[in-house]
Amino acid sequence: MVDPPTAKRLVQVIHDNLPAPVGERRPVHTIGIGVNGRFVASEVARSYCIAEHFDGEPVDVSIRFSNGLGGLEQHDGWSDVRGMAVRFHLKNGTGSDLIATTLGEFFVRNVDDFFKFSDTAKREPFRRRHWLLKILDFLQLKIPQRNPYPGETQAIDAGALRYANQHRFSQLGIFQVGLIGAPASYARASYHAVHTFWVTAPDGVRRPVRFYWQPVAGVRNIKPTPEPCEKYLFDELKKRLKRWPARFMLMMTIGEEGDTLDDCTKPWPGTRLRIAMGTLTLTEIPEGEDQATAGERISFNPCRLAPGIEPSNDPILKARLGAYEVSREMRGGCPFKWRADNA
Amino acid sequence: MPDNEGLMDRFVDRLPETAFFKFVAARILTPLWAWWTPVKPLPGGPHPSFQHGDNVQCMMNLIMPLKDKSPVGRAHAAMAISQHKDAIFAGLNNVGTVHFARFVIVGDNICMFSVYDGDFTNYIRDFIATIGEVFDAVVGLVEGGEKVIPCDKNVEAFIQWVHERDLYQVPDTPTDFLRDQERLNGDKAVAPVNDDLTLLPRKMVLQLRANANVSLGSGYRAYPGYSVAQVRKQLGLGW
Amino acid sequence: MFDLSDLQGNVLRGYKDKPYVRYLILEIADRVVARRWLAAAISGRDHDVPQITSGDWGKAKPRTCFNIGLTYEGLRALGTPGSSLAMFPNEFIEGITARALKLGDVGASAPDTWPSPFNEPKRIHLIATIYAENVAQLDQVQQRALDRNALTLLGMREGNNFDGDFVHFGYRDNIMQPRFEGIHDPERHADGQPLAPLGTVLLGHPTNLEGLQWRVPQPTQLGHNGTFNAFRVLKQDVVGFENYLDQAASDLLTHPKVDEVLPPGGELKVCEVFEIEPPSRHAALREVVAAYLCGRWRDGTPLALSADMPDANVDRAKFDYDESSRCPYGAHIRRCNPRGGHIVQRVANNSRRLVRRGVPYGPAYKRDKSGDAGKTEPERGLLGNFIGASLGAQFEAMSCDWLNLGLQDPRITGSNDPITGTNDPATSWFDLPLKSGGTIRLRGLPEFVSTRGGAYTFLPSLSAIRYLGSLTA
Ligand code: HEM
Ligand code: HEM
Repeated sequence: MVDPPTAKRLVQVIHDNLPAPVGERRPVHTIGIGVNGRFVASEVARSYCIAEHFDGEPVDVSIRFSNGLGGLEQHDGWSDVRGMAVRFHLKNGTGSDLIATTLGEFFVRNVDDFFKFSDTAKREPFRRRHWLLKILDFLQLKIPQRNPYPGETQAIDAGALRYANQHRFSQLGIFQVGLIGAPASYARASYHAVHTFWVTAPDGVRRPVRFYWQPVAGVRNIKPTPEPCEKYLFDELKKRLKRWPARFMLMMTIGEEGDTLDDCTKPWPGTRLRIAMGTLTLTEIPEGEDQATAGERISFNPCRLAPGIEPSNDPILKARLGAYEVSREMRGGCPFKWRADNA
Repeated sequence: MPDNEGLMDRFVDRLPETAFFKFVAARILTPLWAWWTPVKPLPGGPHPSFQHGDNVQCMMNLIMPLKDKSPVGRAHAAMAISQHKDAIFAGLNNVGTVHFARFVIVGDNICMFSVYDGDFTNYIRDFIATIGEVFDAVVGLVEGGEKVIPCDKNVEAFIQWVHERDLYQVPDTPTDFLRDQERLNGDKAVAPVNDDLTLLPRKMVLQLRANANVSLGSGYRAYPGYSVAQVRKQLGLGW
Repeated sequence: MFDLSDLQGNVLRGYKDKPYVRYLILEIADRVVARRWLAAAISGRDHDVPQITSGDWGKAKPRTCFNIGLTYEGLRALGTPGSSLAMFPNEFIEGITARALKLGDVGASAPDTWPSPFNEPKRIHLIATIYAENVAQLDQVQQRALDRNALTLLGMREGNNFDGDFVHFGYRDNIMQPRFEGIHDPERHADGQPLAPLGTVLLGHPTNLEGLQWRVPQPTQLGHNGTFNAFRVLKQDVVGFENYLDQAASDLLTHPKVDEVLPPGGELKVCEVFEIEPPSRHAALREVVAAYLCGRWRDGTPLALSADMPDANVDRAKFDYDESSRCPYGAHIRRCNPRGGHIVQRVANNSRRLVRRGVPYGPAYKRDKSGDAGKTEPERGLLGNFIGASLGAQFEAMSCDWLNLGLQDPRITGSNDPITGTNDPATSWFDLPLKSGGTIRLRGLPEFVSTRGGAYTFLPSLSAIRYLGSLTA
């Protein structure tokens, strides 16, 4: 947990770096769409975790897919991180949240790093790199800076790169952001919850785990073009779900001794035990006012967890507990029960 | 059209795809940079680790150039394997830690690919003890092999020789690849450092020049974390 | 019979009557003087530098013993020809710190946390060991060893054997050593295991892996009859160990199947043997847990022969493992030496044996039940030597696949040795086998033993010492 002023500052820093105020909207992942779905745990899930939604009974789920960029403009076709926030609705009216993005790791280890990163990676004027310089890059066998999208005059790319060059822990995240591209559909990307959580099994054993979603339809990006389509992801999803429900597998990796438990800049290798925890089926997209509730007013928190799942000591995860509440309050988001008695 | 994009911009953006640039990059720039900023070959085999998951289902990817680069030479290699089928299978069973082993001829190379549990040197050493004769037959056909056979009298040299022919396993993330290079140069810093991430392509190109054959990533595992014996036991096959 | 006079005495002997042991960690100060020092150490003239104790004591038992091991850097510093150096095995050339991941030397055991002199591994050239009846003798020998200025003392480590061969954690040690073909060994009685071929411990002789021989660095005088040693400073968390026994015993006490590991009433006998007053089931269960972790009761009784209670009358050495054995597959002694038991790597049975020479350091621990929690304890541990003709095929193979990982049996794969393994309480586990077939799983084992130093050394034969002493280049 961070103290309330720090939580406020975390959110303020994000707001301060926006191209234009977003009003009462999320300062990141501003553009998003709410979807309803159901989750059915696999037959083995309950032997690893006693949380209610892993007991095998189908549970209702609210999902919000989003574009990572903060700002009111929608740039579906830009290379950008996408979010998938999921709430499993539990019987007593509470929920268990799982917030994931298409990035397999984060780029800072703790709150201090986050502030330093925000200082370095400020929005700067972003212009096409001169072709002569690009030739120089090619001669050095380097990657030249990407071209701006139409209308893109500012970006944090240069600052982020500067930060990465000075901090090796951040390099993977920042490098991957550069390559991430745009998905053909929200239902055709993998989403990673990056932090470590502890799950408790029926025999009392606690295991450190990490979760991620894999789309059953497979991962697919669109081909990058200089003038990308600005809006297609919402329509695509609507059309897709009218035809056929879309599914995701929830995978859970179990850490072992020596794995980093509290550093979300370090992904775990693929050689760890991997458990198929269940299948999420996206069923429908609420319309009208219901969409405003499902896509806008809903608010998630990565530390809202069903009994049986606990947060690790990852300082980023702990900081998010307060920061997401601050942000929710600032934008008048719908508070959600933390406990059945709402205390 | 994106703002202010000129003819030269468009031309330069497409430059890397042109035959001319590809030629220049491969024939001039790469050797030049390799000379200017030399890169050491990275060692083959799995990355050393004490963690359990990393020490089961390890990969060996051996590529060994045949002495006789002709259909006759390749046939010799094929014969050497097929003649010893019994010995190989008995050896694999008794070494007890091998998930899969395959022999492949690619170009004029005889390749051995296997997935095994535990430490590489233990694996090869146990193998020498059980099917040393087969190793001798195969390695005798390979360039430089005569120096290390008979393998049971040259255990250390043989294991080293095999290790040197085991492909470098490029890590799953590009930055772990950079960390490998840094480690080889004794650089363990985290921050502050003064790197240039945009150099990654060149670093990769030069590394692939030093390690011409590599294994890409640590490979996919359907049931990571389990040893041969655990799988066999669970399936009721005996171990 | 094999001629023992060419071997250093500590390879095949335990020097049982010399309980005080000091390790001098030395750097060669001057190559020429150091060679003369080596030559003097085997000159046979007693007034000279301390004489290397050979394997053949003749009639008069020496009052003190003195042995040496050389690191790769040490051999280089002496001017050993490059062609000879290149014939030493890789793991020895790289040195123990480079092998940290294989040995599980990570976290609190990582070489970059080792204290002086082990923080500068390249400076460690020679480790001399003095064995004596008392500390005064140690001092004397040390002074004689150092007075020629051939060697610079970088640091030392010292320990002494406790009465009855006990080590920290309270176990009886020094029960098993390999017995060798062609070596008369009156100290050890038959243990039912095949005699180990001499190549298990000496270069130039047949090994246990059929047809395999290790490379002998040339010239022959240098390599033949030499062997390698993994010297390890192993810190033991004695308080942590006792606390764990407490915790595990409490957990077991309420376990529905506890009677299978301690029959009702069994606590009386267990407490009697270990002189625990007043007897209680909890106290006895602590001993049961200790016994399962090691594979021996703390008095040395092997679980393989007497799982229900310690028994001074059973043979401590002669037993084997089979499917009905009540010794856990994961117990320390079963991991280190599965004997004739069924293991995954069938060809490896009996092939990874080690000669062990260890001495505890730090004061013996007396458990204070009043629980003075805040008290800082002095460092305690084991100065261990693990000797074999191939570090890679024996010490390292045992460490990485058997002690850690547990590859030898699918029932323990994915767990580490409960006593010396690189354990993390978050994920560690250990299974107690039950008579009825199932197991009780213990969890939360911390790392009881951490490495605080070490070196790979070559233990040269006396001919080799003579050769090294006569180098001129
Ligand atoms: C210190 C680090 C972080 C800060 C300060 C931060 C801040 C925020 C804030 C303020 C919001 C808006 C919340 C709301 O108004 O409801 C948000 C949303 C989001 N964040 Fe983070 N975040 C951090 C780390 C992460 C990480 C590591 C992930 C990766 C899983 C992530 C994924 C998301 C997603 C997917 C959303 C959109 C949630 C939704 O759809 O409602 N964030 N973040
Ligand atoms: C401080 C750490 C250690 C302690 C307290 C310890 C304790 C013991 C004890 C009490 C025994 C039983 C006595 C005997 O059979 O002679 C034993 C046996 C043995 N230990 Fe350890 N040990 C330690 C570290 C190691 C290490 C690091 C290794 C190997 C790399 C090792 C290898 C062996 C072997 C080979 C045996 C003999 C097993 C047999 O032949 O039945 N020990 N140890």
